[in-house]
Amino acid sequence: MVALLGPSGSGKTTLLRLLAGFEAADGGSILLSGKDVAPLPPARRRFGMVFQHYALFPHLSVGENVAFGLESGVGDAAGRPPQDEIRRRVREALALVDLTGFEERRPGEISGGQQQRVALARALATEPRVLLLDEPLSNLDPALRERTRRELAAAIRRVGITTVLVTHEQEEAFHLGDRVAVLHAGHLDQVGTPETLYESPATRFVATFVGRATVLPGRLAGGAADEVTVEVAGTGVAWPATSAGIDAGGEVDLVVRPEGLAFTHATGDGAVPGKVVGRRYVGAVTLYRVALETAAGTGAESLVPEVEVAVAERRLASGGDPAAHLDQTVHLAPHPEGPLPRAYPRDDRAPAAPADPPAAPEGSR
Amino acid sequence: MSAPSTAAAGPARPARRAGAPARWPYLVVAAVLLWLVGYPLLITFLESLGIGAGTAAGSAANLDGFREFAGRQDEWLALWRTLWISAASVVLSALVGVPLGFVFERTDFPGRRLLGGLVALPVVLPPLVGVIAFLFLYGESGFISRAVQATLRLDGPPWSLKGAGAILLVHAYSMYVYFYLFTRAALARMDAALLEAAASLGAGRWRTFRRVTLPLLRPALTGAAILTFMASLASFSAPYIFGGGFRVMTTQIVFSKLNGDVLMAQVETVILAAMALAGLAAMQWADRAVSTTGAVRGVAPTRRRIRHPAARAAAAVAGWGLAILLLLPHATVVLISFVPPHTWTREILPPVLSLGNYAQVFSGFENLRPVLNSLWMALAATAAAVALGLVAARGAVVHKGRLGRALEGLISLPWAVPGTVFAVALATTFSVSQPWLGRFVLIGTPVILPLAYLLRDLPLTGRAALTGLGQLDPALEEASASLGAGRWRTLRRVVVPLVRPALAAGAALAFITALGDFVTSIVLYTFDTRPISMEIVGALRMQELGVAGVYGVLLTVAGAAAFTLWGRGEVAS
Repeated sequence: MVALLGPSGSGKTTLLRLLAGFEAADGGSILLSGKDVAPLPPARRRFGMVFQHYALFPHLSVGENVAFGLESGVGDAAGRPPQDEIRRRVREALALVDLTGFEERRPGEISGGQQQRVALARALATEPRVLLLDEPLSNLDPALRERTRRELAAAIRRVGITTVLVTHEQEEAFHLGDRVAVLHAGHLDQVGTPETLYESPATRFVATFVGRATVLPGRLAGGAADEVTVEVAGTGVAWPATSAGIDAGGEVDLVVRPEGLAFTHATGDGAVPGKVVGRRYVGAVTLYRVALETAAGTGAESLVPEVEVAVAERRLASGGDPAAHLDQTVHLAPHPEGPLPRAYPRDDRAPAAPADPPAAPEGSR
Repeated sequence: MSAPSTAAAGPARPARRAGAPARWPYLVVAAVLLWLVGYPLLITFLESLGIGAGTAAGSAANLDGFREFAGRQDEWLALWRTLWISAASVVLSALVGVPLGFVFERTDFPGRRLLGGLVALPVVLPPLVGVIAFLFLYGESGFISRAVQATLRLDGPPWSLKGAGAILLVHAYSMYVYFYLFTRAALARMDAALLEAAASLGAGRWRTFRRVTLPLLRPALTGAAILTFMASLASFSAPYIFGGGFRVMTTQIVFSKLNGDVLMAQVETVILAAMALAGLAAMQWADRAVSTTGAVRGVAPTRRRIRHPAARAAAAVAGWGLAILLLLPHATVVLISFVPPHTWTREILPPVLSLGNYAQVFSGFENLRPVLNSLWMALAATAAAVALGLVAARGAVVHKGRLGRALEGLISLPWAVPGTVFAVALATTFSVSQPWLGRFVLIGTPVILPLAYLLRDLPLTGRAALTGLGQLDPALEEASASLGAGRWRTLRRVVVPLVRPALAAGAALAFITALGDFVTSIVLYTFDTRPISMEIVGALRMQELGVAGVYGVLLTVAGAAAFTLWGRGEVAS
C-alpha cells in the first residue's frame, strides 16, 4: 500500500488520475505486472477507484451501485456473470465493509461513513488489479475519521490488494501507507517507509512537510558526507548535524525538529542563547518558541531566527515549575537523544517554511 | 450557472483526457443547428439587402428596403410603440411580481404553498389561451363588462378592451411571473446573516431593506426586467387580438407578410431581430454582473409567520382572492366552451349550457383535425428538440472550447429571437429550391411547422439539458468508467437517468409551447396543417366563441397533462 502525500497542487491527484486513466500522460508508461497499461482506456484497466466524494450513483440503490461494475463484466473472462452470482458477490462485497443488508438503501439515505464504505465495496467487488483511493477520508468529520481509517485498513489488508492512496494528511499516510511517496510541486521528492521519511528526509521540503520542524539559516563548518557540523547563522555556535550529502561548504538550511532541541544550563560549547517568545502546552509536550540571539547585522536575514523546542514537562501536573517562562533567556543545544538537525543546500527559491505543517484542507480535488 | 470547481487543485493539469469523447458527432449537430438556427436569419438579412435568390438576379446589395422603412411613418410608429409597450410592461410586471415575491418568500400564511405554485401558472399557459380568456372576461361582451353594464344600467359596454391598455393588461398578467420567480429565488438565496449583520450594526428595517436587501436583489431584478422586455418585444397574440390599428413590430411584420410586401416584412424582421439580439447582449452582460455577487451562501432568512388572527384571515382572503383573480380567465374559457352559439345575448350569465360545442368539435375528422395536427406536430418537434438539445448540450459540456461555446450559443439563440422573426426567416429561406445551398421548398409542406416549433423548443430542452448535465458530478462518469462501463453504458445507465428530470421538465415546456404556438403558425400554416391556434382565431372571427373555448380548453388540458406527466414543478427552478 503506497500513500501519495503532498500539499494541495503538488500533483498527487493528477498522478492518481493518470493511473486511473482519466488523464493522459505526455509521455512515459504505467507498468502493471510488466505490461504498459497507459494506452488502455479507464474502463479496460481494471483499476478500482474510490473517489473523494465517493461518486455513488444517486439514482441507484447501494446494491445496484456495487453491482454496476460486475454487470460491466470487466473482471471476468467469461463476460458478465449471471444474476445470482452478481447478487452473491454484491452480498460478499457489502459484508466485507460491514454493510450486510444495505442493498436496498439509496446513497442519500445512509451516513457519510457508510457511503465511503459502499464506495470501497463497489470498487472492490470487481476484484480489480489495483485499488486507487482519492482522499478517501477527507469528507468525513474528524471524529469518524480515525475509526473509518482503521476499518479501511483492515478491509484492504483482508483483500490483500495493491493500493495507491492520495492524501494531504501525514497521519493518514503514515497509518495506511506501507510506503509513502512525498510529492512537491509536481516532483517526487522521496519514497520510503514512514520511519525513513521522518528520520532521514531526502529534501528540505520533505523534512518540513513531514512532522514539525524549524528551518534555520546556517553555514557549513566542517565534516563531510552525512556527518557535518553547521554554524547556526549569527551565533558563532556550531551544531552537529546529519546531511543528505552536501559536498562543498557554504550556506545551508538547518532543519531542526522540536524534540531535537533541549534547554541546557551550560553556556559553553554548543549552546545558543535565546529568549522565550511563546509557549504552548499541547499535552504530551510543551512547545516553546525561542528567538535566537544573533550578532546583529551579521546575517543576511532581517528576521530574528526563531526555533521551536518541545519539552516533555509532565511533572507540571504534580506542581513543578515549567522549564522556562515567557521572556526568560535560555540556552539551547541539540537534545542528546533526539534526532540530529539535518542540513540541506540552501534553497533560495523556497520561502522560510512555517513551523506548522501545511494542513490546509484540499479543494474539491 | 456555477461550474464545479474542477480546477481547484493542480496548477498544470493536462487538459487532455484519456477517454476524450469524439468530436465528430458534435460537429455534425453543430452543422445541423447552424443550418436550422443561423442560416435562415442570415438569408433573411441578405435578402433584406437585396442579395439572394428571392430578389432580382444580378442586383447589387442595396438599402432600398431600409430606405423605404425609414420613410414610412407607420413603421416608425410601430417601432416606437414596441419600445414603449415593452418598457411599460416591465414596470407593470415589476409592480405586481416583486411584492408578490416578497409576500410569498418572507411571510407564512395558510395556503401559501399551494398559492405560491398557482401564482406561477400564467407562464406555462399558451399566450393565445390567456388572450382569449381575457377577451371572454373583460372584453366588450365578457362577464365583467356585462356585470358592470347591468349594475350601472348602461346602454353599451362600459369599456372596450382594445389598444395599448388591453395589451398592457395581458402583458402584466402573464409576465409578472418573471419578476415573481426571480425575486423569490433571490430572496431564498440571500444569507440571513447579512440581514442580521445589518441589524446588529443598528440599521432599522427600512435601512436594511434599502441598503442590503435591494442591492442584493438588483441582479435578479435586472434579469427579470430584461426577460420581460424581450418577452414583450416578441409578444404577438395580445397585439394581434387586441391591437386593432395599434400595431407593434410583430404584428406589423405579419401584416406586411400577409399583404405580400415580402421585402418590407424582411426589413422589419431584421430590425426586430437586431433589437432582440441587443436584448440578449444586455442579458449576458447582466448575467456576468450576477455571477460576481452570486456566490452568497448561508441560511435563508426564516419566514415571518403572521400570527395575529385578523391579519392571518386578511392574508388568507387576499391570497385566495388573488388566486381566483388569476384562475378566473381560465375558468371563463371553460364556461364559454359550454355556451351554445347564439344563445347568450344580453344576460350577465349564459342562460343555456350544453356539450354542443364539444360535440361539434369531436363530430368529424375535419373538425378534430387541428387538434390532431397540433398534437403530432408538437410531439414531433418536442422529440426532435429533446434529441438535438441533449446532444448539443452534451457537446457544450464536454468540449469547453470553441465548439462547446458555439453549440451553447446555437441552442440559446432561438430563445432570444422572437417567433415572428423565425417565421419570416423560415418562410424566406425555405420557399426556394437551391439544394446545393441548403435551401429546399418546405413552405406548404407538413414539414415547415414542426421545424418552426422545433426552433422555438430548442432553447427549452437545450437549456434544461445544459443545466442537468452541468450539475452532473464528472466523478460519476469516471466512477462508471473505472468500473468497466463503456461510453455507451455510462451514457445509458448514469448520464441519462440523472439528467432525465431536468430534461422531462424542459420537454413538458417545449410540448406546451409547440402545442399552443400561434406566432409562427400564422405565417407558415396551410389549410391541411392548421394547428389549434389558427382554428381558435378562425372561430373568433366567425363569432363562434364556444368553439374557440373548446379549443382553448383542449390546449390547456393537453398542456397541463404534459406538465403533470413530465414537468412536476421543476419549472420554477
